[in-house]
Amino acid sequence: MKTFLARRALTSLVTFIAIITIVFILARATGDPLTELENDPRISPATIAAIKAAFGLDKPLHQQYLSYLANLLRGDFGYSLHYKEPVARVITQRLPYTLALLVPSITLSNYLAYVIGIEVGWRRGSRLDSVFMSVSMFIRSTPYFWLAIVFLYVFSVVLGVTPLFGAVTPGRRFEWSLDWLLDYLWHYALPFTVLTFRGFLAELIYVRNVTVDILGEDFVTTAVARGLPERYVKRRYVARNAMLPIVTVLGMRYAFIIDGAILTETVFSYPGTGRLVYEAIFNRDFWLLQGAVVILAASVIIVNLVIDLLYAYLDPRVRYR
Amino acid sequence: MRSILREALHTLFRNKLGLAGFSILLAFSLMAVLADVLASYDPYEVVGPPYSPPSDKFPLGTNDIGQDIFSEFVYGSRVSLYVGLTAPLIASVLGTLLGLASGYLGGLVDEFVVGAVDVMLALPSLPLIVVLAAYLGPSLNNIILILAFFGWSGFARVVRAQVLSLRERPYVEAARAVGASGPRIMFKHILPHVIPLIMANIVLGATSAILTEAGLSFLGLGDPTVKSWGQILRRAQAGHALDQGLWLWVFVPGLGIALLGTGFTLLGMAIEERVNPRLRFTRR
Repeated sequence: MKTFLARRALTSLVTFIAIITIVFILARATGDPLTELENDPRISPATIAAIKAAFGLDKPLHQQYLSYLANLLRGDFGYSLHYKEPVARVITQRLPYTLALLVPSITLSNYLAYVIGIEVGWRRGSRLDSVFMSVSMFIRSTPYFWLAIVFLYVFSVVLGVTPLFGAVTPGRRFEWSLDWLLDYLWHYALPFTVLTFRGFLAELIYVRNVTVDILGEDFVTTAVARGLPERYVKRRYVARNAMLPIVTVLGMRYAFIIDGAILTETVFSYPGTGRLVYEAIFNRDFWLLQGAVVILAASVIIVNLVIDLLYAYLDPRVRYR
Repeated sequence: MRSILREALHTLFRNKLGLAGFSILLAFSLMAVLADVLASYDPYEVVGPPYSPPSDKFPLGTNDIGQDIFSEFVYGSRVSLYVGLTAPLIASVLGTLLGLASGYLGGLVDEFVVGAVDVMLALPSLPLIVVLAAYLGPSLNNIILILAFFGWSGFARVVRAQVLSLRERPYVEAARAVGASGPRIMFKHILPHVIPLIMANIVLGATSAILTEAGLSFLGLGDPTVKSWGQILRRAQAGHALDQGLWLWVFVPGLGIALLGTGFTLLGMAIEERVNPRLRFTRR
């Protein structure tokens, strides 16, 4: 177990270094972080030069790279030129909105996909199976943002039961009160429903296929032949063995939270990190974008590591290999 | 070649869902080929007043500058099919070569490819695709290359795993014993067995390529000169289609994407089932 841990931690570290290096190269190769300022006629070239010196942009590349690494180690992600605030602070202000929306949504949709997927797989070849398969394939082929627009149209425009945009009523500031919470939940309902609905149906097919795969195993045939009750076989033989591949795939969804967040938050004008990334690109807010991608990459790697540990816990064969 | 074709037809007609997928793809392909006949107007031409409601003349209405939305939709099928097929195809060539080399040669090459695949899988793909699309500039072919760059790792992993199991088979050993060269064994003896699996993955990858192109277009990072379904949706959103009561403008292109994606998924899963018989529907 110890060597397994050490090896996994080392791979994660190498992956992380590779990613931040790619981000650094990509950023330096493709854009000048000060474009926004340079295009502003009110700022003199001397000021720009001073800013460049202050941020170390006048130094050779390898020195910039080293100080970039050193800054990251200190938790310094740079300075957002658009928000005039440190990147870390801008991101931490927006992160709670994204996490509060996506973590419960992914958890609920994973749970539904797991429980219902096993039932559907168990009834493979039945009408129920065909219906769920077709719906699942259709829903996973719909664009996220389109589904969100359709929901928005039906519930907010036609029925008028949910708000059109935002995480709270515009102008409202955060406070610890029931009133604020109700307003928040009212705005929360629709994006949460869209994400959960799509996530559940998109993953259902995977759980179903894993289940069907396991049903073909000899030990299941044996268990059925021994006359064990159906519920017992389903729970102890199928569901339990389906858990391994499912933990890996459904667990990874936490790592890719941001993929869904960028599009959903854009449609609903939700003030989370997904929308932040989107805005950073259009504002050419270079350090903000870089910082966001590094933080996201780190979270992907951490989730990956946690899943691997969980996997090792669930499957002793991995531990003792 | 003939036997592959016969096998493919056989697979198709025995699997109802696969046949359904094939029919959907056939319908959209016909739409793309016959676009000049089906569409009454040039999708780039201003043919009516802006925001016209659906009518006999304009089945889905006109957009914010008076172009016919139905014609846009018909021509859009060409773009979606083009993106859906080229991006995974390029990714598969890259991934297959790396997977073959990695699995067959082993050693340092293997270490390197496996490491690169691990890094690719841990990359937050959409933010990076968004960054790349923003910096490289809006062009359809740029987007296809970006999609291919983020898609090769899946192919490399699948091919490598297959090669690892195939290389120990007696027939490969026999080929080696009679003096076949490494490249010959890889391409002549191993590759043909991996191709069905690669095909399944290309077809399955088409859906996600189409979805990503649509997403990028929606975010304003697509190619504004090409009328893809994603671009129509972006225009609809920017032109406040729903406020104008033109819900078909939003509904139809999205439905097109979803149906085309379903077609690809159904066909891909039918091929996959054929390759991996354990997944086959067993009728109890």
